[in-house]
Amino acid sequence: MDVIPAIDLRGGKVVRLRQGDYNQQTTYADDPIAVARGFAEAGAPWVHVVDLDGAAAGVTPHLEVCRRIVEAIQAPLEFGGGLRSLETIDAIFDIGVGRVVLGTAAIEDPLLVQAAIAKHGSSRIVVGVDTRGGMVATRGWVEQSSIRVEDVLRQMATLGVRRFVYTDISRDGMLTEPNFDAVASVVMAATELGSTVIASGGVSNVAHLRRLADIGAEGVIVGSAIYTGALDLAEALRAYGRVI
Amino acid sequence: MADIVIVDYGAGNLRSVQKAFEQLGYDATITEDPTTVAQAPAIVFPGQGASPPAMDALNKAGLTEAIYTSLTGGTPFFGVCLGLQLLMDLSEEGPVDCLSVLPGVTKKLPAALKVPHMGWNNVRLRKEHPVFHDVPQDSYFYFVHSYYAEPADDAAVLGTTDYGVTFCSVAARGSLVATQFHPEKSGPAGLKLYDNFMRYVVLQQAVPEV
Repeated sequence: MDVIPAIDLRGGKVVRLRQGDYNQQTTYADDPIAVARGFAEAGAPWVHVVDLDGAAAGVTPHLEVCRRIVEAIQAPLEFGGGLRSLETIDAIFDIGVGRVVLGTAAIEDPLLVQAAIAKHGSSRIVVGVDTRGGMVATRGWVEQSSIRVEDVLRQMATLGVRRFVYTDISRDGMLTEPNFDAVASVVMAATELGSTVIASGGVSNVAHLRRLADIGAEGVIVGSAIYTGALDLAEALRAYGRVI
Repeated sequence: MADIVIVDYGAGNLRSVQKAFEQLGYDATITEDPTTVAQAPAIVFPGQGASPPAMDALNKAGLTEAIYTSLTGGTPFFGVCLGLQLLMDLSEEGPVDCLSVLPGVTKKLPAALKVPHMGWNNVRLRKEHPVFHDVPQDSYFYFVHSYYAEPADDAAVLGTTDYGVTFCSVAARGSLVATQFHPEKSGPAGLKLYDNFMRYVVLQQAVPEV
């Protein structure tokens, strides 16, 4: 299972939000490049970068910061937040990002997903499915839809999507525990569709990683637990990441 | 004079490669100048994208001749990704004469699989090599590609990787080594390959006993 450390960017700084609430922000570091370098040197297989300003606005204000991270570290970048046009997706690949996560764009614009996969390949286009109470949330988690998770998975798989990032917003940044039942049902549904799932939200110790691995998650994104020191990334990678 | 020269023919962002060598304490120059390439003490030949436009760019820039000059002179050479594929004679990607440094053909990965082959995969070494000194068998490296090189001479295949097909993920001959994966994106193990290349191939230090 890939243990993937996350860097959430807001105003150029590394922050965490509680439950995706823009008013409940903690700033952890001023220099995202140094943070990313630390993750890569610990052996992280991917570094997950979210542009929180982009997620809300629909543009990618942190493109230059991302470029500097890509150039500075020996690990591939997974990027999400604000990717709502093929041009923006092309721009983020041009700077050397490995794969992108489409959230709102995928829900609102299936044709974009189709075009992005046709152009860049299914292994480079990941769809992020963020939920609150079993329903899909969009626009930086500010808006709530009435779409069921299973329906989104099915529709996206039809478009050629083969990898999902599944986030339970109510657990994100809370350091409680992942919603294991929800992850398990998403993994099961995705597996039937020939897709894999990266779980996100709520991880706060190594035991949580063990359960997610048992459930069959391809990967897990970890944020707050690393920043608060609840989880040691190097130790987690030794236990559940591949040895590299 | 730089310790190593990175050939720039417009195929991708080369700063990651440069930064990796800089992090190891070496002076790495990115250049599109044929003279600089021909006279370089060591060369990194990176690249991403398709073979036909890449060869076109190399030919137009006069870099093809410069690469031949340095290889003929035995300059240590590290090919990466497309920089491995272009060493073959031909490519299934289109009608194009590649560099023919290593006899062979670049082929398309089986269509049944997720393409591009992107992500971490392991490399099985067939024999010892200074560049892989102290790198464990079956170590994982980061790949992004839809085509793979198939050297005609089996002796040139140093390492293989499985992705629907077992393909050559590392080729080596003399002071030339080329990887299908990206060492500069492959974490501590990838960085070690560049370090080993500089120490044991370029600077010709003795390889320690393991």
